[in-house]
Amino acid sequence: MLTTLIRRELLDNLMTFRFAVAVLIMLLLVVANTAVLIKDYERRLAAYNTALKTEDQRSQGLKTYSGGRLNVARPPNPLSIFNVGLDKRLGNEIWISHSFVPTLWDTGTYKLTNPLLNLFTAIDIVFIFEVVLSLIALIFAYDAITGERERGTLRLVVTHPVRRGQILLAKYISAMLCLFVPLLMSLLLAIILLTTSTVISLSTADFLRIGGIILSSIVYLSVFYLIGMLISAVTRRTGTALMLAMFVWGFWVLVYPNAVLAAIAPPQTSQPRMVSAYEEIKQIWEAFDRERKQFLANDAFPGEDPDFGMVDVDPNWIWGSGHEYFHKDSSALRYDYHAVSNIDKLSEASKPQVPHAQDYYRFLGPQIVNAAERAWLVRKQALETIFVQPAIVDRILLRGSPVGMYEAATQAWVGTDLHGLRDFFEAARKYRRTLIDYYYDKNAFGAEQWFSADKGAVDWNSLPQFSFQKVDVATNAKRALPDVCILVILNIILFLIIFLIFIKSEV
Amino acid sequence: MWHIAKREIYDNLNSLRFALTTVLLLGLMLINAIVHLQEHPVRMQKYHDAATKSLNRLKSRTNLYLIAQTGPGYLYKKPSSLHFCADGGEDFLADNVYGGFYAWATDDLAGFWQLDYMPATLNRQNIRPDTIKIDWTFVIGYVLSLIAILFTFDSISGEREHGTLRLTLANSVPRHTVLIGKFLGALVSISVPFVIAILMNLLVISTASDVQLGTDAWSRLGIILFIAMLYLCLFLALGLLVSSRVRQSAASLVILLLMWVTFVVFMPGTLASIASGFSPSMTYYEFNERALQRVGELRGEYEARLQDMPKDPARKMEFAGEYVIKDVTERERLIHEYLTQQHAQIRLARSVTRVSPVVLVQHLLEVFAGTGFERHQQFVENVQRYAREYREFVTDMDRADPESLHIIGVYDGMSKKPISPESIPTFEDRLSLGRDFNAAAVDLLLLTLFLIVFLSGAFLAFVRVEV
Repeated sequence: MLTTLIRRELLDNLMTFRFAVAVLIMLLLVVANTAVLIKDYERRLAAYNTALKTEDQRSQGLKTYSGGRLNVARPPNPLSIFNVGLDKRLGNEIWISHSFVPTLWDTGTYKLTNPLLNLFTAIDIVFIFEVVLSLIALIFAYDAITGERERGTLRLVVTHPVRRGQILLAKYISAMLCLFVPLLMSLLLAIILLTTSTVISLSTADFLRIGGIILSSIVYLSVFYLIGMLISAVTRRTGTALMLAMFVWGFWVLVYPNAVLAAIAPPQTSQPRMVSAYEEIKQIWEAFDRERKQFLANDAFPGEDPDFGMVDVDPNWIWGSGHEYFHKDSSALRYDYHAVSNIDKLSEASKPQVPHAQDYYRFLGPQIVNAAERAWLVRKQALETIFVQPAIVDRILLRGSPVGMYEAATQAWVGTDLHGLRDFFEAARKYRRTLIDYYYDKNAFGAEQWFSADKGAVDWNSLPQFSFQKVDVATNAKRALPDVCILVILNIILFLIIFLIFIKSEV
Repeated sequence: MWHIAKREIYDNLNSLRFALTTVLLLGLMLINAIVHLQEHPVRMQKYHDAATKSLNRLKSRTNLYLIAQTGPGYLYKKPSSLHFCADGGEDFLADNVYGGFYAWATDDLAGFWQLDYMPATLNRQNIRPDTIKIDWTFVIGYVLSLIAILFTFDSISGEREHGTLRLTLANSVPRHTVLIGKFLGALVSISVPFVIAILMNLLVISTASDVQLGTDAWSRLGIILFIAMLYLCLFLALGLLVSSRVRQSAASLVILLLMWVTFVVFMPGTLASIASGFSPSMTYYEFNERALQRVGELRGEYEARLQDMPKDPARKMEFAGEYVIKDVTERERLIHEYLTQQHAQIRLARSVTRVSPVVLVQHLLEVFAGTGFERHQQFVENVQRYAREYREFVTDMDRADPESLHIIGVYDGMSKKPISPESIPTFEDRLSLGRDFNAAAVDLLLLTLFLIVFLSGAFLAFVRVEV
């Protein structure tokens, strides 16, 4: 009996004009947008490659260990075509040094072609599903029950020996099957377009992630279909049902996500928290500075200038002597010490100073690493509470609409959410550890090469390359799971409510 | 006709959609006003602080060479007091142009100032979720058009389904009267909540003491309201057109909604992105390479000339002056070319997207609110005009001094007389309504054209409709 009902509903839905138009528009939009998005990705990838090349050239010029301030760049995520998330917006270049622990708040950006192109909002594939498919789902649903009631066909169906639950189930399954068609077709087209691009190659894991997106999309669509059905079950007339459905759609898809963040006041960065954290960091570095000064005072050249008067043979070489400075920026909670010396060739007069400088830097290096680590612990806490927590609150508020959950879930799948972006900075911090270990291995802090290239430039090739691997699919799935679960629960609740209303309703 | 309109209005006023529309519009406009009241004073304060700082630095100089060499410093774009009407993607547009000098200096020569158009500094640390700004453009462009569709999709097909259309037409009323009546009915019943929402919005904004709207702003608001009405009529006409062509009201709604989605949600972004691919601009690296090469060439030329004639100090100074000025002109020419290419790319993309009415409205609102890309271009023009003025001022002051050698670009070749700070021209970012009308003319024309096409389409479709 169920199959008969499903078949009837399927034929009813599939053969309609609205279905044909919807599928056609959907495909057109997805194809046009995917083409645009692939172009955009290729542009960003080109910019990334240029950045890598520039960095390669630059690192040739780093002749001493202390001059080693390496830039690492974040590659654009090819799956950002599905949901761009934070991938385009956050900074994508960060520098690694032993004296500083990099975070999301210290990034730079490599140059893109035309910054004004940001004026045009790029629409990703998930956004199309979010807007169009939800609309189509509601259009399928609004007259599912009221329509039949008005026409009187519902009465006919109910007179047969079928349970009412079965009728509902049949309607639901057939509509979902119908919605599945445009979803799968457009995704298939998008993937075909993706494979035509020479720079994008999708791995098995990527296909699994796309599978995750499909799963989330189905659950999301089902929520909207059930909302439509609920409206259809409680209203008497199709006209009213339609109006309600449209306003619900407009509210949840268009208005709520944009209005809720504007309506609640943007979080004020808590100034006292900032100040106290900054003070704490400052104290760590001041303690460091005291020890440094003490060391210099007890040195064989008491009170001497930290670069020991060492200079390059070439007086015009701007890095001809040591540079030591504190970088202070209270708005980013930055307070760190840099001791850089990039002398190419020591002048004769400076040569006797070399052992003293070696002693000094041997002492200074681990001290700086240490202080940086301790400051990082404070800074991490502060940044977390001041910047990350409000952003998380925002995301929770956005979950007031199914759109927010769907966005969050798909971003988690493709790895363009906050977690995914922070993975990169985690990798950058790990790379910093690699750099420090490398220094210890090479005994670099006490070496002459730390401050001068007199005995030959540093060969950075022996340092392991930075590489950023995306997390595995299981982690993506774990991050997406909460939102998908909420959507599933929402589905079940909605279905139960509809069921209860429907069995009690008069035909 | 009035009778029909009245019937429509009564019908609409009692309906669910009218209530929901009112609530929705009021809520959105209230949010808009509150956000504006919070953000605008901060924005103004920031502008004033920055502009005063830059001006003070300029006025602190009295030496003509220093004035000529260091330039006017940062020139800031004045924020519009009608920012709540259209945000215009201001975050992506630079709010200043730097008129300062490049730090190269050799013996007695130093680089002169030039205009440098730096891109907007984006907040790369912003981890809040992305949202569309709730400005009038959003309320009118997105929400009002959707409401117009929801009010008209069944106005003809629905009546036909119910059979009431036949009854109406059985009376001795001409068909076009029925159509106009329906049109007016829908127009009035949407206008009422819309105008109320706008009035409430303006009331909230104008009561706040630190946000002031002048007469100019009010006339601009009037124009914006007129444009909104035009746009509303356009979507009403579209709704009537589809409604009279299609038999079932459900099908008519589906078509209208999908049209709406393509016109409003997708066309602005997607089409612009496609179109921007047609005229790619120079990359930053290309530009940088060209600039470095050209500057190096000039340097080489200068040094070669010096080699030829090293003895005469007066001639040497003349060469030096020529070189400094040429260096600046070339740098500025290149950077200007780079900027022009970027602007051309955006302009082309923007004109292609004019096929969508919502883009027209967006452009128009931006122009009249004094935000967005048009405004940015105007600002750049103002800056360029000021730069010319500033340079002319330096030349004039130098000419006025008979003791000067009139070699601009070299310290010893210029007037040493102190300059009074009052006489230095200051930058003033001005907006003119006349120029805005020129910028808006095409968009306004196209919008009217769209309206006429849709209206006559609706008329023809309805006249030929079988009841």
